[in-house]
Amino acid sequence: MRAEIINPFLQAASEVLEAELGAAPLRGPIGLQRSAYTSDEVTAVVAVTGEVAGMVLFAMAEPTARAIVSKMMGQEFPEMDALAQSGIAEIGNVITGRAAVLLSDAGFPSDLAPPMLLVGRGTMISTLDVQRLVIPMDTEFGRIEVQVALKLTGAAARRAA
Amino acid sequence: MAKVLVVDDAAFMRVRACKVLQDNGHDVFQAENGVEAVRQYAEHRPDAVLLDITMPEMDGLEALKEIRRMDPSARVAMVTAMGQQAIVMEALRAGAKDFVLKPFQPDRVLGAVQKLLAA
Repeated sequence: MRAEIINPFLQAASEVLEAELGAAPLRGPIGLQRSAYTSDEVTAVVAVTGEVAGMVLFAMAEPTARAIVSKMMGQEFPEMDALAQSGIAEIGNVITGRAAVLLSDAGFPSDLAPPMLLVGRGTMISTLDVQRLVIPMDTEFGRIEVQVALKLTGAAARRAA
Repeated sequence: MAKVLVVDDAAFMRVRACKVLQDNGHDVFQAENGVEAVRQYAEHRPDAVLLDITMPEMDGLEALKEIRRMDPSARVAMVTAMGQQAIVMEALRAGAKDFVLKPFQPDRVLGAVQKLLAA
């Protein structure tokens, strides 16, 4: 996966998580995976369309998800209720939205679909022939894995060929 | 204390902004899309509106125009993801007084409302 596609997600995730959580996340080693993704307890899913297309996953344990939305709201979330789910989905949405703007600035105009949320460990998601870039982000509330499964399409793919 | 209408399709962001405003003594109404925002504005005539841009049914820009058509003195700040400069500029031309970037901090939400009330 090209640096022009990866870097916007690194930058966006760092910026948004720092703004929301009050401290910059520590980035772990980036990995590349071809196998299907098996979901963690909470996974926000944001689809991307345009000259860069695919999906971005934000995976975390439930205590991490609840701690993050508790920090953002300033109140405890003892359960992963609908409001907490909306909060995690919105974090994925804001990070991906910020990355999409950076992608557009880099010459890859793209757009987002509304975020979705998977709750429950063990669901298998195959990104088929699209590799997934796995970016671990460690926060004081636990690890968030940003998984980027995107490919160039249309004019961008023709330029890259 | 002011009447503030908070409009966002993301429930968490909407409730979060409402909580910040209520904790600081404001009277808050909520809407989750542009159509509902226009209806709530007509019903409550709030002193200030925080209006998300990207929403289903009617987006924030269209809702802003409808609200300003109904009340040319309406005081509206747009809530937007980082980087939507072109839309923000269009909203400012259409009468928005300010904008708040997501992810937002409580102080910025309160500051935007104070700026609207002083306008």
